[in-house]
Amino acid sequence: MTTLDALRDATSVETIKADLLRTAYENEGSFLHRLDPRVLLLWYAVFLFVPWLFYDTTILLGLLAFVSVLAVLSRVSLFLVGLMAFTVATTLGSYAVVTVFTGDPVAAIRALIPYTLKLTIISVSSLAVFSSMGPKTLSQGLRSLGIPRQFTFLITYGYRMLPVLFQEYHDLVNSFRLRSTAPDSPGRFRWRHYAYLLKLSVRAFYPMIFNVAKRSRVTVEAMEARGFSHSLANEASTELRLADMQIRPMDVGFFAGSLFVVAALALFL
Amino acid sequence: MMTTTHNSHIDVEQLQFQYPGAEEAVLSGADLTIEPGEFVAIIGGNGSGKTTLCKSFNGIIPHFYEGDMRGQVTVAGHDVSESSVAELSQHVGYVFQEFDNQLVSPTVFEEVAFAPMNYGHEDYRERVHRTLDLLDLSGLEDRFVWELSGGQKHLVALAAALSLDPDILVVDEPAAQLDPVNARETYDRLAMLNETHGKTVVTIEHQTEFIAEYCDSVVLVEDGIVSWKLPVETALNQLEDLRGQDVHPPQVTRIAERVLDDACPLPVTLADGLDLFTDYGSTTGTRTDGPSEGNRTGKPVISFDNVSHSYETLRSGTKEVLDTLSLDVYPDERVVLAGSNGAGKSTLMQLVTGLETPDEGTVTVGGTDTEDVLPEQLAEEVVYVKQNPEEMFIDDSVRADVAHYLDDRDYPNVEQRVDEVIEFLDLETLQSRDGRLLSVGQQRRASLAIGLATNPSIILLDEPTGSLDLASREEVGRTINRAGERVETVVIATHDLELAASWATRIVVLHDGNIIADGPPSDVFADLAALKQANLRPPQVVRLGTELGLSPAPLTVEAFTDRLSTASPSTEPSKPAVEEQQ
Repeated sequence: MTTLDALRDATSVETIKADLLRTAYENEGSFLHRLDPRVLLLWYAVFLFVPWLFYDTTILLGLLAFVSVLAVLSRVSLFLVGLMAFTVATTLGSYAVVTVFTGDPVAAIRALIPYTLKLTIISVSSLAVFSSMGPKTLSQGLRSLGIPRQFTFLITYGYRMLPVLFQEYHDLVNSFRLRSTAPDSPGRFRWRHYAYLLKLSVRAFYPMIFNVAKRSRVTVEAMEARGFSHSLANEASTELRLADMQIRPMDVGFFAGSLFVVAALALFL
Repeated sequence: MMTTTHNSHIDVEQLQFQYPGAEEAVLSGADLTIEPGEFVAIIGGNGSGKTTLCKSFNGIIPHFYEGDMRGQVTVAGHDVSESSVAELSQHVGYVFQEFDNQLVSPTVFEEVAFAPMNYGHEDYRERVHRTLDLLDLSGLEDRFVWELSGGQKHLVALAAALSLDPDILVVDEPAAQLDPVNARETYDRLAMLNETHGKTVVTIEHQTEFIAEYCDSVVLVEDGIVSWKLPVETALNQLEDLRGQDVHPPQVTRIAERVLDDACPLPVTLADGLDLFTDYGSTTGTRTDGPSEGNRTGKPVISFDNVSHSYETLRSGTKEVLDTLSLDVYPDERVVLAGSNGAGKSTLMQLVTGLETPDEGTVTVGGTDTEDVLPEQLAEEVVYVKQNPEEMFIDDSVRADVAHYLDDRDYPNVEQRVDEVIEFLDLETLQSRDGRLLSVGQQRRASLAIGLATNPSIILLDEPTGSLDLASREEVGRTINRAGERVETVVIATHDLELAASWATRIVVLHDGNIIADGPPSDVFADLAALKQANLRPPQVVRLGTELGLSPAPLTVEAFTDRLSTASPSTEPSKPAVEEQQ
């Protein structure tokens, strides 16, 4: 029962909420955080591309090991890693189930492993990059690459609203619970109970969306009253926003080092 | 008047405004002049047009709402309809009523830097630090806005509005969303900005006690026009005009009105009242007011046994909300949980519903340990009416929301029971509307209906009078009284001590996760040390009575008046019992 309790604790709304918030904001200590956002984004673009150059499983495993090290250094949320592992495993599992009827499941999975590995490498590098960039650096990076401020502001604002939305959603689910009937008998592994909670969780989305829509009007007025539209056309404002970015030797070193690792993997494995 | 460092006038001439799609104009020819360096309160009932009037100062009206505008508004030499919101915002800072929604950045620093950066001010860092220093907020720079207390959030919103160093500051209903201590703190800062920095301050306000203490003059907005603008003492003596707009004069003024026949002008502040009533003082007296003490019979219905509870924050570590707290609540008690924001009131209520379970200790409701049952099962006995009514609206009409619980449990005669509750709370005309679109007062009533429909024996109300004007507050007060007849035990978490004084049989004062005072209202209000520790202020009438040496101090205006009329004026002035606490 203690394992089950521990699992329930780990998957409680509070824990997940704290874990995700930590991913979004607490990235100051991570290695990648110290890099310039433009370099990181460029690095990410390269690593979206690199896995597709190789077919050899060993090289791909090497690449996966490399990006995993970076992910560990960026302190990626365990919840997100778990979620990813779960998807990868279930995807492969589902292939196996389907191919039982069409032929040899083992051969099918073996054939699909390189493809899955490539996707996993990309996922892990996404986790590493985006976990280590806070909302501010991310929007700075995108802004300097010419993405309009309307969009980059949306990212910062989205991050700011995240905890508020979590809280609101949690409260609404609770409101549903206090006015609903739980199933009389929870069933084997409490499946009825969990199915019931799942149903409430889906229903709670609708009121949340209405509440958010209503609230955003004040937000827009407040932004206007503090010169948001003004900043869109204001050069000085854009410069200020991007002023503290600079590419240092460390950034170049990291980028070159990564390319070196890829080259080494390709040559020696 | 104070030193004025700017020359920004506000001139409103014959302002008319009609929202798009509205049938009537919300402003119909308003005239108003506000001089540089004034501290003005704008009062008026709900829907009188006061917020619309203030939103014309920084151009949100007519640039944001493209309604039909006539007349002229000139602010700091700019014609509002010709200037942009961005231009006007450099002269007028605006703090909205729903201040929570106007914080758009994750951290305090970024929030305050938002405006200076938008305008491309290179010295934005200095501006942020200067503004935060000015409001005593230094040290909060890196905190996340959602982890701040309500009072701190409001001050951060104020700092964000001040970051461009505007001459004029408009603050919409500061006292409605904050507990009295935080509201007072905000007003102290506003007074400082007004006196030492010469800022013009305009507040929209319902609570006349604050107006009397802080403002120079009062503007009454009535049906879309400005009826008058008067100096504060004269303004608060226009009792009929005020009541016509659902604005209640300060308690001390109300007492003087009942006691004195023709003495005009009536006092408006505690200090004035004290001077006037000193001769009436009587040091003894029997308690004639307030509800009688609850009789503690039988077993407790709610019982906290050494309960500790904490939660984690991102940058501020683990917060201990309740610390080995023990409390028993008996049948037929009317309990008020008092304490400042963050004292643990809401957590205590969440624990009773079973939505939260204690880290340590046990919570027992009706003999059941809350850890042994689901919140759904406890909900048959307990109902929790939330502080924010919007969180209770899960259906698309008030009626469907009221019926939700009964429908879900397959109760017989659902329609009839829903009809009863809707009639009981006068919601007939609103029942088919979406709860989210009602006014705050109506929302509160609807959320009470949702709670009462479950036919509970224990009812928990979280801040039922928060963010309501006084008319709606009284209405909710009456509803709670009537609701109390249907249920066994009512617990209210509130910092509205006027409500506590007139309604409770027992007040429990929470501070730092523990109980520091517990007893009938008259005892708790006499425990000045505990109240001070918990950042609470007794109602003005109680403070007046205490200062005059009335023991026990009367709890309501009526009781005070009765005491004064029974006691003949004594020959020697009685000594004030305590120094005025500010």
